[in-house]
Amino acid sequence: MLSRRLVHTSSRRLNKFKLDPNYKFKCGIEIHTQLKTRYKLFSLSPSSFYSSPNSKISYFDVGLPGTQPKLNPEALYLALKLAVALNSDVQLNSTFDRKHYFYPDQPLGYQITQHYHPIAKNGFVELKSEFDEISVPSKIINIEQIQIEQDTGKTSYDKYDKTIKVDYNRSNVPLIELVTKPDFEDLKQVGAFVKNYQTLVKHLDICTGNLETGAIRVDVNVSVNGHPRVEIKNLGSNGEIQEALKYEYNRQVQLLKNQEDIIQETRGWTGNKTVTLRIKEDAVDYRYVPDSELPFINLSSTISSDIRKSLPELPEQILKKLTSEPYSLELKYAKFLVDNKDILTYYYHLIQKVNEKQQPTKLANNWLFHEYLGAFTKLNIEVDMTILAASLLGDLIVKVGEKEISTTSARLLLLQLLQTPEDRDKSIDELIEQYDLGKPQDLSADELHDAVRDICSEIVDNNPDVVERIKKGQKNSIKFLVGLGMRETQGKVDAKAFTEMFKELLKL
Amino acid sequence: MLRSSRIQIRPRCAIKTTFKQVSSDPCFAPASFFSLKRLSTTRSHYEQLDSTKDIWNSLISKRSGLSKTIEDTNHRIGSNAEPSNKENVTTTSNGSLVNTSFVVKDNITTTQEETTSASQMLSNYKSPFNATVVSLLSAEGSKLVGKANLDELGMGSSSTNTFYGPVINPLYYKENDDNTKHIAGGSSGGSAAAVAAKLATFSLGTDTGGSVRLPASYCGVIGFKPTYGRISRWGVVPYAQTLDTVGVLSEDINIVEKVYRVLNQYDSKDPTSLPENTRQEIITTKTSDLSFLTIGLPEEFIIEDLSEEVKEIWVSVLANLQKMGHKVKTVSIPSIRHSLSAYYTLVTAEAASNLSRYDGVRYGYSVDDIQGSAHDMIVANRTKAFGAEVQRRILLGNYTLSSDSGDHYKKATQVRERLVKEFNQVFNLPHALVADDIDLSTGKCDILLSPTSIGSPPPIEEYLQQTEENFLNAYINDILTVPASLAGLPAISLPFGNHGIQIMGQFGDDDTVLALSKSLLD
Repeated sequence: MLSRRLVHTSSRRLNKFKLDPNYKFKCGIEIHTQLKTRYKLFSLSPSSFYSSPNSKISYFDVGLPGTQPKLNPEALYLALKLAVALNSDVQLNSTFDRKHYFYPDQPLGYQITQHYHPIAKNGFVELKSEFDEISVPSKIINIEQIQIEQDTGKTSYDKYDKTIKVDYNRSNVPLIELVTKPDFEDLKQVGAFVKNYQTLVKHLDICTGNLETGAIRVDVNVSVNGHPRVEIKNLGSNGEIQEALKYEYNRQVQLLKNQEDIIQETRGWTGNKTVTLRIKEDAVDYRYVPDSELPFINLSSTISSDIRKSLPELPEQILKKLTSEPYSLELKYAKFLVDNKDILTYYYHLIQKVNEKQQPTKLANNWLFHEYLGAFTKLNIEVDMTILAASLLGDLIVKVGEKEISTTSARLLLLQLLQTPEDRDKSIDELIEQYDLGKPQDLSADELHDAVRDICSEIVDNNPDVVERIKKGQKNSIKFLVGLGMRETQGKVDAKAFTEMFKELLKL
Repeated sequence: MLRSSRIQIRPRCAIKTTFKQVSSDPCFAPASFFSLKRLSTTRSHYEQLDSTKDIWNSLISKRSGLSKTIEDTNHRIGSNAEPSNKENVTTTSNGSLVNTSFVVKDNITTTQEETTSASQMLSNYKSPFNATVVSLLSAEGSKLVGKANLDELGMGSSSTNTFYGPVINPLYYKENDDNTKHIAGGSSGGSAAAVAAKLATFSLGTDTGGSVRLPASYCGVIGFKPTYGRISRWGVVPYAQTLDTVGVLSEDINIVEKVYRVLNQYDSKDPTSLPENTRQEIITTKTSDLSFLTIGLPEEFIIEDLSEEVKEIWVSVLANLQKMGHKVKTVSIPSIRHSLSAYYTLVTAEAASNLSRYDGVRYGYSVDDIQGSAHDMIVANRTKAFGAEVQRRILLGNYTLSSDSGDHYKKATQVRERLVKEFNQVFNLPHALVADDIDLSTGKCDILLSPTSIGSPPPIEEYLQQTEENFLNAYINDILTVPASLAGLPAISLPFGNHGIQIMGQFGDDDTVLALSKSLLD
């Protein structure tokens, strides 16, 4: 009972979390990012994450005697892209060092990292309330340094066999470690920074950006009122980061209120609380030493500007563009596009097509986000922008805009296109013809009007209960009748025409 | 650290004067020493020795088909019925080393047998790949006949710190007479003994601080350590990677040179291999100057502990050089005095780091029943499977690297840098990698000359007893060889009598070292 109450109170406390102005929250974070290189950092085995254990390893990855490291330039390139995108000072001379500790998943007995001379220093990210969920208009988060290093293997404990299993596929995969200054003043800023960072690395195509798969791993350090800081290791999701920070802040505030000491330590997150992993006195002496096998990295003085030229448009610039004329997208849709580069590219093509035919961007926005992406959900298939060419979708939208096809018919045709590969080679005109989806253009306006009246009368007669409801004030039920009319005419007649006719007939 | 040692590392005026006399009187040296130039072979190794017996314990593993004598072995190459297709490198019948056989130190990987490094830790370790040097030699038609004993993981100068028992020096050993068992020197003692005992035409060793030159000197053979970076280390089990250099041992200087020419090439697998363009840029002493070289005599090598015999041989060789038309002068390289402590700081630190990979998790020795955590297992494996000297050096190295110890590693590196600078000031040629402001005035040296060892190899029993009393004694032997290692210079030990004389050249100037060696041994 007691434990249940504890859990209850603690979760209630977490839900109502608020920073106490008397206890100043200060936080810095450390992010490990797995680079999407073809090969590993110092060997030619492929960096692949979904292979059977120990199938993607080379001699060096498992530390065989007589093997030596060889730097993969692609990893260096990706690190430089990130460094420049984060406004860092790229160091023209950087070196690799060895960080020693014993663990079964550490095949060399040391990790090759950049301790003394990292690849970049002094970067920053500016968070803006315009784009990020923070409570001040703008907040600068300074980045202390960016370093390149090796990932370790993975250990797992087999409860049944009582054995430790080690998979070295991840061993020697390139990582970037980024360390921020303790600039975060509240939890929102941490959340916004991590999201911002995820978007950036994904956008630059240097990492998948996933926290859940471990492609990005976050450690946070928290201190209150300048007391010793506590590090929390390995947080696996944005939610965990928030929960762990809330818990840790409350824990430290409580200690201070009880006039107890906060000790400098490393803690872990169990899912509902932080627990001590090791205190400072037990800290491992990593015995850093320069790795004298690896040559220095010497870069030309124009490297930063060269890299900058090779960078794509950065997320913030794209958000700015998409949320203003002519795109005028809502921020959430703009962010969605930045996070999904293939859809963004598709979007640009689509807008171009639609605008060429003098149809409004707004119509295309609607069609892409609601009709097109919605259709994938409706059909329960994975979103794949290669299925339907942007030009074909553009043509369809233009037809809707030109009222050559009703919205309903267009929806039907879209579903048809997604399911029928052979139709995708045809033009929209051909498809309208083939499925007889065109407006009944051979009828005169009067004839059409009469036909609609006939259909509507019949529907009214056949659905007395609905009519009754409408008359009692449930005006929305008219949509049901309109739907029946649309079905009857296979969408060839505009919904608006039906709505007006029903209103006329029912004297609304 | 060295205060307790017997050696005082400072010049002795008396000897210095002697050398001044040498330079003024080329005929000073007693002629008797010239007759000692080549090993006096009262025993005919070719006829008497059965190499399969290896009574010197020079080999850890032998390949089947190891024949009685070199001639025999050579005869069988090409017509050997033994299938050698297990070897994943091709042994050609028309390479530059055809009709030769070789032995490699057992810290160089081969796929057919274990690569133990004479450590229990790797006693069961079979490498999935051949070292580049092994592939290159096989491709030139040489036949690998065995793998040589050594001081565990290259740590030692006696070849007694080995899981497979000490190597016996063939130069002194009379069969069944235990009183004639002397150390072979180390750490490449097995490689030196194997060629001294004529088990193979040549052998490969590794030289970190003299590990090829010292055993060559003790066993009366030639031992050449080329410039650091010339020969690939891919497949060489590292001890201290900024110093480890593959070296060649043989009784025949022409074979040494041939083998060196085969191995002297860039290997993209080794990040410390000198790249092609650097090799092209290296300036070597002009061939036209080879008959009139200036030979430097570093005064810091004139130390009290040199045995009388060694001193006399050194003097006689110098005299001989003068006779040949070369100029001899004393030079000073003050940092040599600090080189031994700098060396042991660097090698132990690098070794502690390099040996961290041996945890018995993926390969190597592992205790049978593991109790407790993964960490306990690693501790148990390392405690059980490393010998005392290796554990001592790991501890020393970890102390150096620990945050409490200050910046010894950095300071040692600075000594090394100073040493390189001082060598650059002494040599005529510029250093190929270090751009120093060097005074290019002439009158400097082309070659430096010193003894390889301070005296004769002690009997094994005596050596072990002395080491027991003070293990630092064993480190002293490196004093003459370590400076060239720290600076990466090419250095060769040539046998004169029962002692070795060391010739050192500027970084990259291996050709001059070899050329002078040939003319001296002619």
